[in-house]
Amino acid sequence: MSKFSISAAIGGAAVFATAIAIGTGPVNAAEANPCIGNSGPVTGPAAFGGKSIRMGAEMAVDEINAAGGVLGKKLKFLQYDARGAPPRGVDNVRRIGLKDNCVAMLGGYHSTVALAMRDPIHEIKIVYVGVIAANTKVIENGRNPNYMFRVSAKDRWVSKFLVAEALKRSPNNKVGIMYENTGWGKGAYPNIQAALREQGTKEVGAETFNWRDTDMTPQLIRLRKAGAESLVMWGLDREGNQIMRSLQKIGWNPVKIGAWGFAGNLGELAGKLANCALIMQTYSWMGKLEPQAQKLYDTMKKRYGVKSQKDIRMGSGVADAYDAIHIIAKAIGIAGSYDRQKVYEAMFKVKHKGLVMNYDPAFERTEERHDAILPSAYKLTAWYNGELLPVSQTPCK
Amino acid sequence: MSAALQYFLAGLGIGGIYALVAIGFHIMWSSAKAVNFAHGDTLMLGAVLTIVFLDHGIAMPLAILLSIGVAIVFGVLLERVAIRPFADHAASIGWMLTTIAIGIMLESYATIEFGAFARPLPSPGVDKPIIIFGAGVFIQELLIPFVAVLIVVLLGLFQRRTQLGRAMRAVAFNRVAAGIVGINVLHVAMFSFALASALGGLAGILVAPVIQASATMGLLLGIKGFAVAIIGGITSAPGVVIAGLLYGIIEKFVDGYISTAAREAVGFSLVIVVLMLFPQGLFGRRELVKV
Amino acid sequence: MSRIARHFNPAFVVAAAILILALPHIAANEYELRLITLLLIYAIIALGLNVLVGLTGLVSLGQAGLYAIGAYTAAIFATRLGVGLVPGLILGMALAGAFGVLLAYPTVRVRGVYLAVVTIAFGIIVENVAIEWDSLTGSWVGISNVPAPTLLGLPLDTNAYFIVVGASALIAFLVNLNLMNSRFGRAMRATAQSEIASRSLGINVAAIRTLAFVVSAMAAGAAGVFYVYLNKYISPDIFSFADSVRFLLMVILGGSGTALGPVVGASIMTYLPEYLQAFGPWQSFAYGLLLLAVMFILPRGIVGSIEVLVSSRMAEARPETGHEERPRLADIVAVNPADGSACLDARGVSVAFGGLVAVDKVDETVDSGKIHALIGPNGAGKSTFLNAISGVYRADSGSITFLGQETTRLNSHQLARLGLARTFQNTELFSEMTVLENVLVAFHKEYRSNFFSTICRLPSFQRDERHFRQAAMALLAYVGLSAYAHEKAENLAFGHQRQLEIARALALSPRLLLLDEPAAGLTHTEIENLIALVRDLAASGITILIVEHHVELIMEISDHVTVLDYGELIASGSASEVQTDPKVIEAYFGSQTFGDGPAPAAGIESGEG
Repeated sequence: MSKFSISAAIGGAAVFATAIAIGTGPVNAAEANPCIGNSGPVTGPAAFGGKSIRMGAEMAVDEINAAGGVLGKKLKFLQYDARGAPPRGVDNVRRIGLKDNCVAMLGGYHSTVALAMRDPIHEIKIVYVGVIAANTKVIENGRNPNYMFRVSAKDRWVSKFLVAEALKRSPNNKVGIMYENTGWGKGAYPNIQAALREQGTKEVGAETFNWRDTDMTPQLIRLRKAGAESLVMWGLDREGNQIMRSLQKIGWNPVKIGAWGFAGNLGELAGKLANCALIMQTYSWMGKLEPQAQKLYDTMKKRYGVKSQKDIRMGSGVADAYDAIHIIAKAIGIAGSYDRQKVYEAMFKVKHKGLVMNYDPAFERTEERHDAILPSAYKLTAWYNGELLPVSQTPCK
Repeated sequence: MSAALQYFLAGLGIGGIYALVAIGFHIMWSSAKAVNFAHGDTLMLGAVLTIVFLDHGIAMPLAILLSIGVAIVFGVLLERVAIRPFADHAASIGWMLTTIAIGIMLESYATIEFGAFARPLPSPGVDKPIIIFGAGVFIQELLIPFVAVLIVVLLGLFQRRTQLGRAMRAVAFNRVAAGIVGINVLHVAMFSFALASALGGLAGILVAPVIQASATMGLLLGIKGFAVAIIGGITSAPGVVIAGLLYGIIEKFVDGYISTAAREAVGFSLVIVVLMLFPQGLFGRRELVKV
Repeated sequence: MSRIARHFNPAFVVAAAILILALPHIAANEYELRLITLLLIYAIIALGLNVLVGLTGLVSLGQAGLYAIGAYTAAIFATRLGVGLVPGLILGMALAGAFGVLLAYPTVRVRGVYLAVVTIAFGIIVENVAIEWDSLTGSWVGISNVPAPTLLGLPLDTNAYFIVVGASALIAFLVNLNLMNSRFGRAMRATAQSEIASRSLGINVAAIRTLAFVVSAMAAGAAGVFYVYLNKYISPDIFSFADSVRFLLMVILGGSGTALGPVVGASIMTYLPEYLQAFGPWQSFAYGLLLLAVMFILPRGIVGSIEVLVSSRMAEARPETGHEERPRLADIVAVNPADGSACLDARGVSVAFGGLVAVDKVDETVDSGKIHALIGPNGAGKSTFLNAISGVYRADSGSITFLGQETTRLNSHQLARLGLARTFQNTELFSEMTVLENVLVAFHKEYRSNFFSTICRLPSFQRDERHFRQAAMALLAYVGLSAYAHEKAENLAFGHQRQLEIARALALSPRLLLLDEPAAGLTHTEIENLIALVRDLAASGITILIVEHHVELIMEISDHVTVLDYGELIASGSASEVQTDPKVIEAYFGSQTFGDGPAPAAGIESGEG
């Protein structure tokens, strides 16, 4: 046996093993399988985001299956890891749509991943319901038909909401912007600018910061010099904490208003420094809960090792995913079939009384109304002594 | 003026962090001609464990000691498992990949057990900034570079005054010759990794109040700390500390006067340029080819 | 490493081609076919990286940066100018290749782990630029809307695209295979195993490393281009440090330096994440554990370990050394008859290390066709002097003339090309290569066939290869090693290793041969053989400069002896002249106290020649 033929045999075996490994999985059919996929962060620094979606989705799927499933079939929830990387999200869409052949899918935490998934979703024509990622263009993407839906916040609406609250608190209408240098932050920046234009003003300055930055004094010094009275902030808790500390270092205390990325544990990280930082949310598990929410909270304690209300990281994600699964299930029921096209049409007919709000209807055929949660459901909360509470329950203004 | 001072002070704090990481790389390299590529995760271990011990109601001083103890055990095990079996190979791929693998496992385990969120480590050093000519800085941020310099001084004394320290220097200079004169090279390597890990754990505890403890805090610190160690000249302890402090200060000035966006590109381009001009790093010892 | 495929096998190519054509029909669904396409893309990058890591021994932890450059180039040209697949490939590979040259430049001075840092820094810079150059790259949002790939104006669907990528991967495999089994591959492996010996054989190490970087960079660039058209979307997230580690792991896992290893490694690393998904949050932990396990259980990688296993089972009984007739050297390599002129002339050469002057203003003339010896006590500066004239060290002052040409500032590979060959005090063989390959490396500069004809196995390459294999075999016969031609050099007995070094040096057709302590560690019989060999060399017209402690040997063969002590020339003349020179006796016995009796080196007086 020559040396080459040994190598060739090894190689041949490897290649054929690969060929055999692919011999599984169903062929594309008109009827999709009774599963709902999700691509989100399962590992890495945003793993809590993936976990929040999984908790909400699984609780909803269990409720539906306990009541007999949809059209006589039990639903399944499949979650794949994108680790925040858009190309992995794209792979996951194809896996969910082509291999698992699911009827619909949720979408994860990172806006960049959601943006990247638009193309393959429209190739495959599968209903996508975003549950956290709030970038405006994920949904408002100019496509028709548009398979992108969302049960979550929309940055354009959030921007209007935050800018209005910021201007209320700025006597001379001088607003500065601090946003994270990511797809989410960069996507929101033009939305904030537009919201300010609508109110007849513009920002005095806009600064960026990166993940894991530990000092933001240069940016804040520039904003203070520009005369900012309030800061509209777009980012996550860890960097939010550095903003608070850097503000303290340079001895400046402007009004601070932030998107929901700061709703995690900013108060724990920054302590009193975060007091009266105002944060927008779609849902809060803090304080006294409605009976339905209480029941879900008990389930989370039992099944997912949640010990207190504070342990529910990215609580909006749990509620959004829970509502989204119910809406999809109702759409399948209305469609009367697991045919993806029929389910897409049925999405516009769903009415649902959910955890976050009463969806009546959930979606309409305008691009703007592929978002189910309306600004009227947005809540302004404030950090106070480590807790994120409705502003009225704090001395903040 | 106060802005420049602010950048300088902030840069000193961050540079001190890089310097602390780089000292660990220096100690490991000197004894084994290999390093723990995931040394950043040793910092994470120190910081995260301290918080976990505090959660269990253990008092701060004891929590710190316990964490450093665990870091030492980790260092010794890592040297035995991931470095020693691969140290003979001239090509350095072996230990690079094994230590990266252990780093991945550690980070992944910490994410699951500790959570993905960053958490604060309380310290009186970050309660209130002190203001110097209009520039604010936390005591903790000044403490970090101070400790880095202090460690270099103590390390120097240790290596001159004690038997073990002199053995470390001998091994760093020539492993084979040190072995011939009766120094147990393997013991020295084990001790060096224990020391580096202890200092790594301590560094993690020192920096956590400033940058927060999280499962993923180590990755970038490790890469930058290693780059800094290399450009400083990994064979020189004062060299890596000076390089670390300078790198931190340069970063902040790039942030302040050019743009936040350019920071990594400028910083790492500088790394390449320095290495082209000084292949052994700024303060490194030139190794002579002998045939 | 040594057990690599040597012969181009058409049957394999046909089988692979059939498989590639059949796979679109076997694949269960489009997702599976895409996954295999991805596998082949990873195989291309891994095959390229193998040239760098497996052959040339340079570690790159920045390969994702080159992959990114190919990908962004294609994506930007495709979305803005509608450029198709082929021009995209050309542009992507060209740009990545150009960055490969840039990356190779530091290797001239920067080594080992320092080089790893340069590549890490490069990868991070590329990632950072991709994030921050928003107008060009779309930053974190990336580039989407990449059009479907077109080939010669025809759009390719998933199946057709798979076949294009499959054919490209097959080409990459064959390029890797042919490169490996060529003078370029041998030169790469040689520089990895002993840089100094490679230089002494006339190999331009910087050029070979640049070649390796360019090949691997172009493969990474091509892979990036293919990825863009497969995924139709890119963003900075998949070009991170972790991805560079993953690419390196593919090579190591499969078997670095083997032909098939990169393909096997890429296959596993493509399918692994699919299965690891089942571990949920534990998947990265499982990945780390697997990586660790591979390094422990299969440090040579899967294919590498199998090859070792198979070859050890197939190992034949050691051949007996037959007494062969020594062929005439002039029949094998070009030799120039001596004309009695000065072959080498050194004037006032000094070399200092820091404050220590190792060689101090030494004058030395070596006449052509003569055997010239350089002796002196330990630390006298003999080896340093040898290193200075052979270009390993640069003389701090003085001048060196070789064959009438001023060579003071030439590198050792330039000197080798002029006809100055040498052996080493501690043998510097390419220990992982076979005996035959060791000699073939030295013929590198003699080949007339260029890189292209080598890769394509054109007739000019075949002719060269056949010719130099014969010449190398003849040289082995000349030193009496033909029975060991296919043995690994490190398995040779020490005496044979010394002979191999001489055979290797002879392949340069040297005018001057420097022998650095050739008798050290040899048995009596071996020394006898060495003496016969050296005499035959001189008789063939090769000038010899020999550094040796073995006095009998010196006295027996030298035409002229020079004595160094503390870096200074203290005597020069015929063997019998220096033997009685008082300064020489002083140097060997002089002020040094050896205790009782004469020092071992005192054989100076008992010369039998």
